[in-house]
Amino acid sequence: MSAEAESEERIKAQEKYREMSIAEFFAKNKELAGFSNPTRAIYQTVRELVENSLDATDSHNVLPEVKISIKEVEAATDDKPAKYEVAVEDNGIGVPPNEIANAFGKVLYSSKYVIRQTRGMYGLGVKAAILYSQMTTGQPVFIVSSTDSSDNIYYKKLLIDIKKNEPVIIEEGQLLKRSNWHGTKVYLTLEGDWVRAKQKIIEYIKRTALIAPYAEIIFETPENEIYYFPRVTKKMPKPPSEAKPHPHGIDIEQLKAMVSFTKTKTMLEFMVEEFQSIGEITARKFLESIGIDPNMNPKMLIEKGNSKLLQVVATGLRTYKNFRPPRSDYLSPIGEELIEVGLKRLFNAEWVKAITRQARAYEGHPFIVEAGIAYGGNIIPTEEPVLLRYANKIPLLYEEREDVSYKVVSSINWKLYNIEEPMPLVVLVHVASTKVPYKGVGKESLSEVQELESEIKNAVQEIARSLRLYISKKNSERTLREKIVTISKYIPEIARSLSILSIPPDKWGTDGKNNNEKIIEKLVKIVSKSIELPKIDGKEEDPEKIVRSVIANVKLEQ
Amino acid sequence: MSHIDKIDIAARKKVAEIFHKKFSELSESIEKGSPPKLEIPMRTLANTVFDPSKGILKLGIRKIERNFLNMNETKKFMQTLLMASIIYQALVENEYPTIRDLYYRGKHTILFKDLNGKIKEENTWEEQSESDASIRDVEVMTGLLREDMLILSKEKGKVVGNMRIRSGNDIIDLSKLGHGAYAIESTPDLIEFLDYDAELVLVVEKDAVFQQLHRAGFWQKYKALLVTGAGQPDRATRRFVRRLHDELKLPVYILTDSDPYGWYIYSVFKVGSIQLSYESERLATPKAKFLGVSMSDIFGYGTKKAYLNDEERRNFIIKAKDVDIKRAKELMKYSWFHSKLWKREIDMFMDKKAKLEIEAMASKGLKFLAFQYIPEKIQTQDWIE
Repeated sequence: MSAEAESEERIKAQEKYREMSIAEFFAKNKELAGFSNPTRAIYQTVRELVENSLDATDSHNVLPEVKISIKEVEAATDDKPAKYEVAVEDNGIGVPPNEIANAFGKVLYSSKYVIRQTRGMYGLGVKAAILYSQMTTGQPVFIVSSTDSSDNIYYKKLLIDIKKNEPVIIEEGQLLKRSNWHGTKVYLTLEGDWVRAKQKIIEYIKRTALIAPYAEIIFETPENEIYYFPRVTKKMPKPPSEAKPHPHGIDIEQLKAMVSFTKTKTMLEFMVEEFQSIGEITARKFLESIGIDPNMNPKMLIEKGNSKLLQVVATGLRTYKNFRPPRSDYLSPIGEELIEVGLKRLFNAEWVKAITRQARAYEGHPFIVEAGIAYGGNIIPTEEPVLLRYANKIPLLYEEREDVSYKVVSSINWKLYNIEEPMPLVVLVHVASTKVPYKGVGKESLSEVQELESEIKNAVQEIARSLRLYISKKNSERTLREKIVTISKYIPEIARSLSILSIPPDKWGTDGKNNNEKIIEKLVKIVSKSIELPKIDGKEEDPEKIVRSVIANVKLEQ
Repeated sequence: MSHIDKIDIAARKKVAEIFHKKFSELSESIEKGSPPKLEIPMRTLANTVFDPSKGILKLGIRKIERNFLNMNETKKFMQTLLMASIIYQALVENEYPTIRDLYYRGKHTILFKDLNGKIKEENTWEEQSESDASIRDVEVMTGLLREDMLILSKEKGKVVGNMRIRSGNDIIDLSKLGHGAYAIESTPDLIEFLDYDAELVLVVEKDAVFQQLHRAGFWQKYKALLVTGAGQPDRATRRFVRRLHDELKLPVYILTDSDPYGWYIYSVFKVGSIQLSYESERLATPKAKFLGVSMSDIFGYGTKKAYLNDEERRNFIIKAKDVDIKRAKELMKYSWFHSKLWKREIDMFMDKKAKLEIEAMASKGLKFLAFQYIPEKIQTQDWIE
């Protein structure tokens, strides 16, 4: 789908928002949520459930344990794809029993208008998965959940009434909790194409494990293959926190929503209470600059006939120069250490380094770029680096060549960094933002936002410079090691020759002492002393060890 | 061990002592922890100088250091020591290796593991050219020639004449070898000159001409010691000629083809070769005289009448080739070819672009060559120095 067609779709979607239930809309426009065919559907279902599970754990300071299983429940026929049960269990905070039905059965269930960096936005995705399951198999979703403080485990089977956008409970109940388990387990049955989706799903889980090395992830495939990613660290990234929106990032629809939700009585209060980083002085100056009375009731903006006024405020919010830049402290980057641990684990890489850049903003939306590079080890050398893209901790697997990161990474001349083709190189790029600039509704690639592009470029180049230093040190170390071998391999031969020459002619054939060993020892010391190996990552090897090991392996054949 | 002669044993002992002393210096410096190095006089044209007072080519004073710790020199360092040790071993064990033997004795495989843990094989040397280079290194380092080290090479030179020598335990009369001749041994310094009845030494470039002069009885008639190097002379022949000149005080005349190649052979006898300049001090015979065939012998000069008439010239003269011209131009650069007579000789050659083989003189009749041309040239002092 072209970008233009996509944006047209979006406008249509917004129009329809008013006319029909959002559930009905999603049911009719599956591809918009990533459910365009049986392959994408099963991939998207796994993805939505796993992301929900991680949001329920690491965002709440719980070390995640996520179990994913896919089972075939009905084989494919000539005209119908196979049916699979996808089950995902986490040890997260759980859903309170009275919220389960709405959380899973009502699309766009949301209590409060705030912004927050989450994996799935507003939890739309999992409902789309439930709708897809319901439409292809008619099966209800089965949810089992318990919060930490609860004495019970609650379960519900429910369907979504598409017309009314209401959950319909088929079966529910509770069990007394005998352990201290808490978390959520969701079972979904859907039509899917596992065979085609398999590689992508495995790749998705691998990449998820990469940036969440603090999570334990188990995946069981329909063929009963187990993919197990043990926890390798207990360190977790700081959970994202909620924040009020920044005025630069507000569009007219959001402004309308905010005005309708607000409890404030004047425009001055509205500005100070509902936006971040605006004090009374700034608010007054701003309102004065757009000619709005500070005492005006904000609800006036959504009254009939005032659309011009609304337009003035919306434009003013986006363009006024004297707001403080957006806050970024509520963003949750993965962090350099975790990226390095993850890369090292997945590729058994020889060298890894990651960087978390300072927060920046585009159009009022703060973002943080993180990048990591892994070099050598088990990485299979290829003509261009393997690119791993993430947005808000979600791996992006499709539309790689559309992505701004691909543009940056493929334009780098790696030879300048002492990296020869084919290169055993992995480049990871993570963008954390309250509003990730996705290219399309499929949310698989990021747009070429200029601020983002230059941040990604700076991040990747900064690490590449470290890598260049490492490689050149390593090369010079290798040259020195080769020198040690080149020289040391002759030590036994030289010692033998010299020991023969050091027997005086008149002592020849008598028990003249053979000083072969003594000469070897001396030569070992002389060679070792002449070579200093560079420190690599703070470690330095003793040349004498190498000299001795070379000599130990030398054999002279006559 | 009675078959080993006394001269040999004395020579061996002396040389072995030099070896032992020279290389013990290296062992001692290693003992002190100094980076091992060998000092070797440079064996290149740049370090070859002509000594006008002695009239020979010599090695200059420039030395190279061969450092064990220098990656580019470490293998040659090993090869030099390996060669020294096998020569030393042969010396003290009374052996006579040839340079080919030394190549085989030193050639073996060093097995080692590379950085990736792969087992690699490397031979101490591959080609004999490598072991030969090591022999030359050992020679210049110790100041000894391979003949001193009792290393044998193929015998090439021959001699006949009224003279008795001792070689090993045998006394040989150089006048009683029939149509054959005494092959000059690889270790000419171990030859003892007993007695002789000769007034000059005649060295001829070509073996065939040597045989003709021998059969014609040239050396009996003119009390000559007749020598040939059979083309480019080997070291033993040059050393032997030098000893005849030094020890018996006999004049040395050289007879070669009339072309730049013949002149170069004369030059090798007289001043030494560039490749082997380090041995010139003991091999060169600076007072050797170029007897002919000279350009003026062919064409005449001033009052001197040519030995060939017009018809003979037409029949015998060969047109000089480009390589001959090139070689002549090279020789013109060497200072010992700058004398008045040599300039005249080379100028005539460049002018006529003609050369002549010595066989041409013989085809005028052997008697002409043996009993007219050579004696007349010597008598009239018609030579070039």
